[in-house]
Formats: sequence, structure tokens, C-alpha cells
Amino acid sequence: MYPAPIEAYFAPRSIDEALQCLAEAGDDATFIAGGMSLMQAMKARLVEPRVLIDLNEVEELRGLARGPRSLTVRPMTRYRELAATSALHGALQALGDAAATVGDRQVRNAGTIGGSLCWNYVASCMPSACLCLDATLVLASLAGGTRSVPIKTFLVGPLETARRDDELLIEIVFPASIRRGVGSAYRKYGGAVDGLPIVGIAAQVEVDEAGLCTHARFSVGGILPTARAFDGVGEILRGRPGTPAAFAEAAAAAADAIETQGDHLASAGYRRVLIRTLGRDVLAEAHARASNGAGR
Amino acid sequence: MKKEITVTVNGEAITHTVPLRLLLVDFIRDECGLTGTHVGCTYEGRCGACTVQVDGRALKSCMKLAVQADGKEVTTVEGLAREDRLHNLQKAFSRYHALQCGYCTGGILMNAVDFLNENINPSEDEVRRALVGNLCRCTGYSHIVEAILAASAMRHGLKPVPPPAETEPAP
Repeated sequence: MYPAPIEAYFAPRSIDEALQCLAEAGDDATFIAGGMSLMQAMKARLVEPRVLIDLNEVEELRGLARGPRSLTVRPMTRYRELAATSALHGALQALGDAAATVGDRQVRNAGTIGGSLCWNYVASCMPSACLCLDATLVLASLAGGTRSVPIKTFLVGPLETARRDDELLIEIVFPASIRRGVGSAYRKYGGAVDGLPIVGIAAQVEVDEAGLCTHARFSVGGILPTARAFDGVGEILRGRPGTPAAFAEAAAAAADAIETQGDHLASAGYRRVLIRTLGRDVLAEAHARASNGAGR
Repeated sequence: MKKEITVTVNGEAITHTVPLRLLLVDFIRDECGLTGTHVGCTYEGRCGACTVQVDGRALKSCMKLAVQADGKEVTTVEGLAREDRLHNLQKAFSRYHALQCGYCTGGILMNAVDFLNENINPSEDEVRRALVGNLCRCTGYSHIVEAILAASAMRHGLKPVPPPAETEPAP
């Protein structure tokens, strides 16, 4: 476990400089974010970047910014920062939940949301959480300015995204109305505390003043080819009170509809059981948060 | 393929020309000669024995390249004590017998010091969860958790929980 020789290393200080470095470096140049996945892949020689462009010194890629109807999370924001911020309370809490349970303290001190999304490892938390929360990813390139890609399009397959080799992820934008009555949650099940998810589930629930569900989003991670959303949950819950039976029914429908894989960690059937049981609990938690937010 | 870097290690600026692929843990051990930072797995980021602080944050030093520490402050377990005075957490580890073979201890100390800076009054559950990234192959976690809680109490000026009573040797 040791990286292959690296020919050049750059630590740009701005987005422009990072894109310049990439353009000048040519083939086999790789951005490195928190490095929690990439360093492992480099040490295992799964990737052998000739040129490494380190994004850790790009200050403008860090932090959160609230807009009138959105919350922008910049990609080099670390799990520790996402787990600690109050900016995610309410509608976007699933992202905070997910960040708080990634890996371990040392990983959360270094790992970033953007790095995880661009790596798109199957057993990871950020893709499914961001899919549930309907993120839009803003990519910049030297040639093409910027373009926005919905997360559903961005996540292509295992270790594969819609990001082109000449692009840098610069923003992750979440719709965030100031309306109360929206809550979200994320939970996962893995082989160890805070370990890689065999299944990870995020849910977002919106309730009206009478306590009836008006909208719900539901996504599952840990499955191949990539994290997927299940719209049927929203259809099943719409107009109904948030009862354990309703959540169980919705999660069971998701478990039946979503194709799962069996592997050395768990069989496909076991993953379906996890989607049913975790899904039910996550929906209940998101609903409880939505209801608290609605002032009841 | 090589780059000159200056890293402040335990308060001392160290300038070396290093291969770009050199891991921070090997820079600390082989170039700086500070062998309190251990390698307990095969650089897989699993064991946490190589945990150091970079600009005050606990990181596994096998997960960073040395060149990424250029211009930064690195604190290793050798930098915890001030002259002859041990850090409170080191005293607590000694007092609560929080190490057996000691191989994981340096990494756990560096993680736990960062943890206690972040969480000024942790519960036992929080302490246990903070240790997820550090493996103790002697499985001596109970005393490690007690020592960390005691160090937290010491800092608050509270009386630390008494250490386990000495048992009389059987006659």
C-alpha cells in the first residue's frame, strides 16, 4: 500500500488557478479533495495520477452560503463542519446526519462532501443524502464557464459521475425554502459503527398544518449501480397522516421496487429487509422533525 | 518528483526535500525521526495509530502526503508534553492504566486531545464514538475511556473519578 511515483504536485489558491493547473497538466492529472477515498485508491494503485492538484488551499471552495430559496454548500466543506452547522436544521438535516456518521473523527476532519460526490463510491453516504435533498451541482471549466447538473444526472454509476475531466465541482446547491413543516433524516446500516453503508437511507417529509404529509422524498444508497430515489414513497404518503403503518407501507413499496445487489457484505434480500426497516424509521424521524418544525 | 517543504513539527520548522509520494507518516517517522507516531496497519487508514494533529485537527498521517503538510503545523505525540510536564491526558492514561502494549496509545492521545478541545464535557457514549478510528489490539478500551473522561473532569477542576482500587495480592 504505497502511492506510485507522482510527477508534479500543485496546491492552487483559487478556482481559476485550479482550472489553469488542470489545463496545463494535461492527461492523468487528478484533483485531490479530502483524500479519504483517493489516497486509498492511490495506495492500492487503483489510480496512479501523474499530476496531483490539491484543492485544500482553495478557500473559496469552502463553507456554506444561504440564498433566499437555497443553501449552497461548497464542495471542500468537511464532514465535521456539516455535522456541526445549524444551517442544515430542518429540511436539510439528512445531510447533517449523514456527515456526522461518516467513517470516524479523523475522516470527518479531512473528508469533504464534494470529494465524496465526485468519487461516487457505492458504499458512501453523501450521494444518497444529496439525491434525497434534490441537490444541483455546479461545475466549472476553463473552456465552458459553468453548468448546473441535477444530482440525479450527476450520479452515473460506481466511481462514475457526469463531471467531465476538465471540470471542477464548485457548488452544491440545495433547495431550502424558509417554510416550516419540512424535515429530513438519514440513517445507515454497516458492518461497524459509522462504517461504510450496506444500505443508507435518506428521507425528506413535508407536512401541512393538519399534520398530513404533503410531499416526501426517499433515496437509497449502498446499492448498484448508484444511489437511487424512489418517488413512490411520496405518492403513498401524500394526504395521509404520518403513522407507523403509513411509513411501513411506503418503505415496503420502496424495498419491492428498488433492485438491489447481493455481495460479500449482504444478500439482495437482506438489503431489501434493510430498506424496509431503516426506511420506515427514517421516514418516521423525518416526519417528526417536520412536525416539530411546523410548531406542534 | 521531489519538492522542498517546510513543516513546523512540534514547534520546530523542518525543511526537507521529499518525494511527492512520501506519506506524511513516513516523513514524521523517517525524516524527522519521531517514532511515537506508529503504523499499525499497512497504511490503509484503518488503525489510527498514525494519528497526528495538523493545524490542531486530528488526522491519520497515512492518509496525507508530506507535501500536503507544507507550511502547516504538525503536532505528534512527542509534542504533547511541555518540557517535563505531561499533558493532563497523558497523566490520566498513566493513572488509569489506559495502555497495555502501548502501540495504539500515541494515536489515541492525539485524537482524544483534539476531541476534548471540541467537546468540553463529553458523555461516555461520545468518548466511545470518538474512538471509532483508533484500534486497540489489546482491546483495552474500558480504561482508555475512563482516562479520557477523567482528563475531561480534571480540566473542569472537578475531582476525577477515582482510579480502580488497588487489590491486595493474594497471600
